[in-house]
Amino acid sequence: MTRGRIATIAVVVLLAFEPVLSPFIHVDVTIASAALLFAIAAMSANLLLGYTGLPPFGNAAFFGLGAYGAALSLKYWHVEFATAAVLGTALAVLGALVLGPFLLRRRGIYFGLLSIAFGQVFYFIAYRFTDVTGGEDGMNFSRPFLLVPSLRLRETAFYYLALVVFVAAILAFEAIVRSPFGKTLIAIKQNELRVRYLGLDSNRFVFVAIVISAAFAGLSGALTGMLNNSVGPLMLDWHQSGDFVLSTILGGSGTIWGPLVGSIIFVVGRDIISSYTQEGWQIILGALFVACVIFFPRGILGTALQLFAAKRHG
Amino acid sequence: MAEASAVPMLEARDVSKSFGGVQACSDVSLTVREGTIHAVIGPNGAGKTTFFNSLSGFYLPERGSVWFAGRDITRAPNWRRIELGMGRTFQTPSIFPELSVRENVALGVRSKRNLAFRIRPASAEPQRKLDARVDELLGFVNLGASAERPVAELSHGAQRLCEIAMSLSTEPRLVLLDEPMAGLAETETDRIMSVIRGLHDSLGLTVLFVEHNMRVVLSLAERITVLDRGRVLAEGSPSEIAANEAVRDAYLGREVLEHV
Ligand SMILES: Nc1ncnc2c1ncn2[C@@H]1O[C@H](COP(=O)(O)OP(=O)(O)OP(=O)(O)O)[C@@H](O)[C@H]1O
Ligand SMILES: [Mg+2]
Repeated sequence: MTRGRIATIAVVVLLAFEPVLSPFIHVDVTIASAALLFAIAAMSANLLLGYTGLPPFGNAAFFGLGAYGAALSLKYWHVEFATAAVLGTALAVLGALVLGPFLLRRRGIYFGLLSIAFGQVFYFIAYRFTDVTGGEDGMNFSRPFLLVPSLRLRETAFYYLALVVFVAAILAFEAIVRSPFGKTLIAIKQNELRVRYLGLDSNRFVFVAIVISAAFAGLSGALTGMLNNSVGPLMLDWHQSGDFVLSTILGGSGTIWGPLVGSIIFVVGRDIISSYTQEGWQIILGALFVACVIFFPRGILGTALQLFAAKRHG
Repeated sequence: MAEASAVPMLEARDVSKSFGGVQACSDVSLTVREGTIHAVIGPNGAGKTTFFNSLSGFYLPERGSVWFAGRDITRAPNWRRIELGMGRTFQTPSIFPELSVRENVALGVRSKRNLAFRIRPASAEPQRKLDARVDELLGFVNLGASAERPVAELSHGAQRLCEIAMSLSTEPRLVLLDEPMAGLAETETDRIMSVIRGLHDSLGLTVLFVEHNMRVVLSLAERITVLDRGRVLAEGSPSEIAANEAVRDAYLGREVLEHV
């Protein structure tokens, strides 16, 4: 077994003990679930930012489409949990299939700005179509059962479900970025011109990367909605996209586990600090981000891995 | 080798391209016959790189057309030209600096074999064939010993060789090399010269290259096109070019040509 596999198993085992450790480390299981789901959305941002070199400033659009897709299928079709999650993810993928053709030719800041613009369009749709989406208040619902009516997801059960989904997501992510397709994305990030001069239409790869990214974000959004038993237009807002990007950079963009590290710091940190002070979180987050850029230029995990590699070779 | 076909490997007809007020290429026409080594020379700013960029789909020329093996490719996207059998290097090597030499070359091999889009890893047998092909290409440019190193760590000359191997990885019939010797020491120049000769002699490729070093041009090229201020000044065999008064006046130092 490789070092990487052992580390993966160790992390998953540690995460599995969270509900037991919860009273001692003062991290509520619901917050822990939120952090794992947030990490899936941060992975979605990471695929574009860290592996393809595109700024995903509109990924909240896919996150929100996932959330609303699940909520609407609960409201109109009264489906169970897994179906709602699948339908939410499908709506996010559909969104990417529609927006992808407009985005796939843009690079750098133009990609980022167009992504924000598309995201805000969905924000205003959710905000304005009150009859369907609940407008500013969003939609509240009670959590559906999972598959069969006897399977009710209370907070601890939900956490284990989130952990299973997270592990599946990160294994899929790892397989994708290590596949020939993922290697082509990394090459696009480093030198897109050369990729084209090796006979590959890089836009096709960017398009597929956007769709995969949307699937991760949509899945995260659908489950986050059902964790909170509510969805709202802020889930589609560009601040939400910014939080995913920030967490990715904090943990280490271009690394497989970086988004999890960043997401735990972000979600758990926000929860702890906002219980003491209202505005404090923004200031501390800002300071943390500046410190990260100065002391951990590749993010916390990225810089740690770099030091580790340097030690082994030197 | 089979007899070279009558259809030229590459043909440019009245290609023109300008930047703002600068007419970088005006009505440049050139025919590269299959199986030849053809050089493009000219003073700095003559439009050689602009011409190469128009041939390879980096720019869309404002006028004129480009034909590859009898097919009009004027508007074909750059990646499509590679699929059709063109390869190129850049005046400043275009590589993946953080990836290993092996990975730089493997990407092109996967591209050629339609494996670059796969989400699932290659199974053992195709992977072994792919590795063997990469080793073969690295052996051709003599970079086998550096296969696992990031390209950024290599010398300038070795980066050029890596880029040549990358341009070969898609199995082209024609390669365009833009100043393959620029900025290299004499020993490295000889290494690249023998590789270019190998492209022609052992791989049977057609080569079109830009070069300032006249020793290299005169010893490699069968045919030379001289560009000056965006126009074709002369075209001919090395001895014809060496004897051409206009070329001497415009560009070449007499001392270089005394050798021919
Ligand atoms: N992207 C560009 N934008 C504006 N002007 C350009 C551009 N590329 C080239 N030029 C101009 O076009 C002319 C031809 O340039 P080009 O690079 O093709 O010459 P070259 O023959 O390759 O020169 P060198 O031997 O220095 O490489 C020059 O005057 C140059 O300044
Ligand atoms: Mg040039």
